[in-house]
Amino acid sequence: MCSATGGPAMNADSREADRALVARVERRDAEALAVLYDRHAGRLMGLAQRILGDTGEAEEILQEVFLHVWKAAATFDPSRGPVLAWLLVATRSRSIDRVRSRRPGKRGGTVGLEEAPETASREDVEADAAGREWETHCRAAISELPEDQRRALELAYFEGLTHQEIAERTATPLGTVKTRVRLGLMKLRERIRPYRKSEAHGA
Amino acid sequence: MAHDERLEELAALQALGLPLGGESGAFARHREEGCPTCEELLVDFQISASALAAAVPARRPRPELKQRILGSLPGARPAVVAMPRRPSGAAWWLAAAAALLFAFAAWDDARLRRQREDLRSQTAQLSAELSTARQEMARRDLRVRVLESDDVKVLFLGGKDPQPSARAKVFWSEKAKTGMLLAGNLAPLPPDKQYELWVFAEGKPVAAGVFDADASGRALFESTSLPGVAAAQNFAVTVEPRGGVSQPTGPIVLVGTPAAG
Repeated sequence: MCSATGGPAMNADSREADRALVARVERRDAEALAVLYDRHAGRLMGLAQRILGDTGEAEEILQEVFLHVWKAAATFDPSRGPVLAWLLVATRSRSIDRVRSRRPGKRGGTVGLEEAPETASREDVEADAAGREWETHCRAAISELPEDQRRALELAYFEGLTHQEIAERTATPLGTVKTRVRLGLMKLRERIRPYRKSEAHGA
Repeated sequence: MAHDERLEELAALQALGLPLGGESGAFARHREEGCPTCEELLVDFQISASALAAAVPARRPRPELKQRILGSLPGARPAVVAMPRRPSGAAWWLAAAAALLFAFAAWDDARLRRQREDLRSQTAQLSAELSTARQEMARRDLRVRVLESDDVKVLFLGGKDPQPSARAKVFWSEKAKTGMLLAGNLAPLPPDKQYELWVFAEGKPVAAGVFDADASGRALFESTSLPGVAAAQNFAVTVEPRGGVSQPTGPIVLVGTPAAG
């Protein structure tokens, strides 16, 4: 899934296939949207559910995202990343908006990554070996982060909390939070860079 | 602008899609200046952030979701369901037709409602995108006219008392008779004051427009076009009454050192 921004979870053929599907969707081909759904719905559902903590709401987000793809396929810009990136950004931003709109009530997605249950319904939508290897690599990289940095990043990414909000939530000085987020991303970057370099060039 | 940890923090926020608050303008301008370190960092940070999504297990949505989505696509025909042909009476057909009609009406109503909501959010999103695109276009236009003109010259302006740490660069195009000023470390001014740029031509100052610094003391400003200026020799910035004056009256805070000759 890191292929969202150019990472290697999907190979070039797979990305090319996605782009062709979006082009067909732009021509009002519902069958192409169905294929796109089959390829990515599992990942998007996983992300939406992780952020929202609610299956029903996550499905509503998925519906919104695919409807958006149907209506706005023409706005997809391949130069800004692969199709999956577009879908993930759409899923995350809509999920975060929804989480924000229901604050300060219940919050979703407060379960840590390694605590997230691997349910029997887990689906490897992109069941290619490279994708799974990349996911494993990402999990390992995240698990190696110091706890406070990982927590700060998760609060920012999955709950859309700003520096200030993270500081309040974790009762940590603002400056410390800024450093944790920055260092967390720096460390992930160091861990992921060698892997990216070893990959063949993608789309 | 030198690359520092604060910029890395802003790059991190941007990569995470979070609001940059009061520093968003400053960061955008820094990127406009062209900082390869920040651009590389942004891409790397985005990939690093997406590692968080990659680590989330995929989950199978309920099978009916796919049909719900495909059935709600505006402009696409709903899936045609083949009805088994069975011998039956007129009453059966009437009941079936009524049920179908009812189901279609309910489906259509829900679909229209969703469409309306989608259109509303799409309109808001598009107008936000349009406004961003317009700002971006204005910036690019400025670049094309000044920075990318073949006769552009760059002059560094140093701070003077009472603002010795102020600094600026002026990009001036003799052909376009206009320039761009990029300044930092400018002190906040009272509401009735503004900074004014002066172009020195034939030894005399010519007013080139007024500007404000942002909360972080930075300013990006395109000068007035000055067709009467044959050759710009030097530049200076003074503090003047809001709106500007035709001859400098206030203290000089920035002045350039023209090349000899």
